[in-house]
Amino acid sequence: MFQQPHLKIENGKDPLASTKRKKSKKIVTKEEMFYHSMLLPGMIFLIIFTFVPMFGVIMAFQDYVPAKGIRASEFVGFEHFKYMFSLPDIGKLFRNTIVIAIGKIVLGSLLAIVFAILLNEVRLKLLKKSIQTIVYLPHFLSWVVLASVVVNMFSLDGTINQILAFFGIDKLNFLGSNKLFQPLLIGTDVWKEFGYNSIVYLAALTAIDPGLHEAASIDGANWWKRIWNITLPGMLPIILLLAVLSLPNVLNAGFDQVYNLYSPMVYESGDILDTYVYRVGLMGREYSFGTAVGLFKSVIGIILIISANNAAKKYTDRKLF
Amino acid sequence: MIENKSFSARFGRLTIYAIVIFLALTCLLPLWNIVAISFSGGDAVASNKVGLTPINTTFEAYKMIMEDSQFWRSFGISIQRVILSLVINMVLIVTMAYPLSKTKREFRGRGIYMNLLIFAMLFNGGMIPTYLVVKNLDMLNTIWALVLPGAVQVFSIILVMNFFIGVPKSLEEAAIMDGANPLQVLIKVYIPISMPALATVALFSIVGNWNDFFSGLIYMTKVTNYPLMTYIQSLTISIEEMLKAGATSSDLANAGEVSNKNLNAAKIVVSCVPLLLIYPMLQKYFITGIVVGSVKE
Amino acid sequence: MKYKTFCKRAALGLMATSLTLSLAACMDNSSSGDSVTEDGKTIITMGRVTAANSKLPEGDTYENNAYTRLVEEKLDAKIVDQFEAEGDDYNRQVALAIASGELPDMMRVDSREELKELVENDLIADLTEVYDKNASDFIKEVYGTYDNRTLEDATFDEKLMAIPGTIGDSAPNIVWIRKDWMDTLGIKLDADGDRQITLDELESTAKAFVDNDPGSTGNPVGIPFASWLNAGDYGGSGMNMTSIAGVFNAHPRMWLEDSKGNIVNGSTTEETKQALGVMADWFKKGIIDPQFGTRTWDDIMALVTNGQTGIVTGPWHIPDWGLSTVRGMDKNAEFAAYAIEGENGKVNVFHNNPTGQFIVVRKDYEHPELAIKILNLFYDEILNADDLQKDYPEIYKYGELAVDGSTRPFNIEVYKSTNIIDEYKYIQEAVEGKISMEDIPTAGLKIDAKSVMAYQNDPEGAGTSEWAKYHSRMLGMSMIDKFSNEEQFNWTTPVFFGNTPTMEKKGANLLKLEEEDFIKIVTGNKPLDYFDTFVANWKKQGGDEIAAEIKEELANK
Repeated sequence: MFQQPHLKIENGKDPLASTKRKKSKKIVTKEEMFYHSMLLPGMIFLIIFTFVPMFGVIMAFQDYVPAKGIRASEFVGFEHFKYMFSLPDIGKLFRNTIVIAIGKIVLGSLLAIVFAILLNEVRLKLLKKSIQTIVYLPHFLSWVVLASVVVNMFSLDGTINQILAFFGIDKLNFLGSNKLFQPLLIGTDVWKEFGYNSIVYLAALTAIDPGLHEAASIDGANWWKRIWNITLPGMLPIILLLAVLSLPNVLNAGFDQVYNLYSPMVYESGDILDTYVYRVGLMGREYSFGTAVGLFKSVIGIILIISANNAAKKYTDRKLF
Repeated sequence: MIENKSFSARFGRLTIYAIVIFLALTCLLPLWNIVAISFSGGDAVASNKVGLTPINTTFEAYKMIMEDSQFWRSFGISIQRVILSLVINMVLIVTMAYPLSKTKREFRGRGIYMNLLIFAMLFNGGMIPTYLVVKNLDMLNTIWALVLPGAVQVFSIILVMNFFIGVPKSLEEAAIMDGANPLQVLIKVYIPISMPALATVALFSIVGNWNDFFSGLIYMTKVTNYPLMTYIQSLTISIEEMLKAGATSSDLANAGEVSNKNLNAAKIVVSCVPLLLIYPMLQKYFITGIVVGSVKE
Repeated sequence: MKYKTFCKRAALGLMATSLTLSLAACMDNSSSGDSVTEDGKTIITMGRVTAANSKLPEGDTYENNAYTRLVEEKLDAKIVDQFEAEGDDYNRQVALAIASGELPDMMRVDSREELKELVENDLIADLTEVYDKNASDFIKEVYGTYDNRTLEDATFDEKLMAIPGTIGDSAPNIVWIRKDWMDTLGIKLDADGDRQITLDELESTAKAFVDNDPGSTGNPVGIPFASWLNAGDYGGSGMNMTSIAGVFNAHPRMWLEDSKGNIVNGSTTEETKQALGVMADWFKKGIIDPQFGTRTWDDIMALVTNGQTGIVTGPWHIPDWGLSTVRGMDKNAEFAAYAIEGENGKVNVFHNNPTGQFIVVRKDYEHPELAIKILNLFYDEILNADDLQKDYPEIYKYGELAVDGSTRPFNIEVYKSTNIIDEYKYIQEAVEGKISMEDIPTAGLKIDAKSVMAYQNDPEGAGTSEWAKYHSRMLGMSMIDKFSNEEQFNWTTPVFFGNTPTMEKKGANLLKLEEEDFIKIVTGNKPLDYFDTFVANWKKQGGDEIAAEIKEELANK
């Protein structure tokens, strides 16, 4: 349920002013007591399981050795960060990570939104329900399993190339070409997640008042006009919200997928931050380095979210959270 | 709904159905392939010959799973985990989203809580410190280690909070005039209206808890305590990794017996069955918001 | 901001912080709680490495099986598992246990670096005395067959800090070729019967297979290789180029000492360049899998299974787990095994790291001698039992069921370095009728011998595992036996196994560079001389640093 565009305060007067309570002068009003106590149990959990372990972040600044523990491990300051930025391929790692992540976020959301809108138009209830269930299933298959399916389809002898051959197009080396590997990653991930991602958008769609659609078609609006003027604006708050919430993921290009599909032939376009950290971890138990990279991602994430939130406030007059 | 019966409308409708069905098929086929593999004989699978129909149909893989008592023990643990988590998650989501949906004027601490939540969503101490906390609370090898650390789902809270913000103030005011306190307003007004949002986050909770295998790996020290996905993952060893790590010949031979694709496929099919049942059950909550139109302006 | 709201916010903030800090302070590393005895028996808590398919009979678990019951019976000690996990998960559990300060009484540690860490932080017990006093003569003999190098690896400052596991040599990297296809196409190899073929013979065979498609698949691919091309030892050398490298006496990834005393990594030598040259040449000629570099392991195995390729490189035991599916698909399939002859007429191989994993005992455990006693029990007493079936019936049964070795309390191997040859001798003599079944000591070997004989009696009707055992024992093991006895092996000994600080930092990157560049050279993406650029980059990006560190470590020994 979102504030529909036409619910506005008229004549500069708040029509509900007379029913509002006077602002209490107490330190905490009765309502606020309720609010605080409603938040309390959750906050306790957060403190115990999220805030307390945060002391571990210090591992990012140490040369952590499990046998020494956090107390006795040597403090090395920003060494891990310096090391990360001095890696010969760090530029490529970042570029790959960001390109793949953004591709997935943008195209993934797009397909999920379009699919939600289209599916919403399906009237046959049984068909709609079964399709909904089917498309959300790939989300549950791990990439370990899906990788073999993808390889089967996209290898030089695979189904896709066979279809291309039928149309007289040359074989494409999806898994081995640095030009095609990123699109392959993005495309297959979008396919895997669009069904699951569309769930939220479908929920948003059901919240749009069907009366609006009726009124519009009485006024002679065709399908496209209705989508453009009613559906999309109605979904806009959720779309924006999800877009902003996925910003911190701009550095999470999807370890499981890349790890199971890549090979040295495509390290150049496919190696991302996480796969690199994983391989470093295999050589020596580099918990510190992993923590440092994780910390770096979190910091970038929070900067992005706060900026986006402030931008949203500036342009739409309403903060997202 | 007034339906436009003109040709272009029909054609448009047909295209929509076609696109949607096509997309659904692309999702269905790989799954069908996996089901076919699970019913096929091992050697055919190993040579990648299985397409959409099983070759050398056999129930061998499913038989092995049915007889594996640990598989069912883990299944039970996962179910227990999902139910406990669902209850705790939903209660916390709803009770936390509501105060946060109030404006700064109505609830003066809102900003701090919101900032703390965002911070908690993005930062965490990492595997080792979280493990130490769980261990010091004596939760290792208990169901709580799988449930409590994930009790607060910030993403879902933000989602529901946004839905709550959209609920017309007039409904709330009406309830307050009838003498309801915030808790009662929440239960009687907000929750019924937000069913689609609540169904969505309930689904996220169920799915997230069912799928997570990593918690089981660190908090459960014995295989008997593993939840289902952790157990399946521990069985899906890759020969490739064993080779790289250096394994003996008998290790490899024994591993080869269970890492075959058809057994793995069967395990995946069985673990997906609950998911196939859950979504249809929740779909009835994704109804159009009929209540919205009932408020007189 | 109003003063009151500010106070409120500050108060909340302080409360949250102090609560957080006080909880954090509560988390110190507690020592392990309960210690010993329970109805008279000593408790040993253990970290156990498990495997996915243990094949334990119904009712038995890792904590309670024939082996643990034996320990209870003979040593009056009950094993309680503190954690059980496999592979990477096990290493993670070890790190978590160490981080929380609660080590089990005994556990396996997989690398020398981890062991060093435990030693340097005084977390494990000194086993020198208990070993000298309690280890049986046979055990000492076993370690002796490696010149005590394994014990040295577990020794720090003249103190033995762990029980080392052993890894015998399993060279060479054998080339397995479809014999039935050779017969169909009339190809004859190894005229002098010394089980070695030349590179040219391999090349022409591969070409014949690709040209004639004896597997009738319509899509023959040539020799498949794994994208990483080289491994750390022969046991893991499936689909590797190790045998080709050996022709030029090249040993990629091994740390060697050259004639001038410099520390050199085998991947950067001229000999490796030559080997890559051969591979690149073959790729151009079309006798190497055109999709080399992107195929997953499973796909490569699929190629072998469905008949698109008939040549595979791998260790002696690859038929047991890698080639058996071929037989499943095609009853006529059989493989011939060859080593590739080096330029010097012999088979050039390297010794692998003789030390496997380590069993450690935590620092203040009251009964460290129990560790040595378990060692004696499993790697001497049971191994050398006169009549295993009578004296240890449960354990004998496990052998028949092929129960996984990980179910033993210590998941390590402690065998003489000649183990493969010793085992082969039993099998060979039984097959030739020189000894009877009863003379074979273990159930496992008995099964091997029986399987071989069953296959030899009826090749077509025999089962898959008999087919596999025939290949791995009579073609694989026998080759090792033959080459050892006739001194056909030309051994190189690497000077260093393990990690150095720079290797932990930059090793992953160097490996990435090697894998990428080797593939580029083989597939023709870059010319052979690009190898020199690779070497220069490799050295600059950490190779030289690591070589220097290794030199220093060796000097300090």
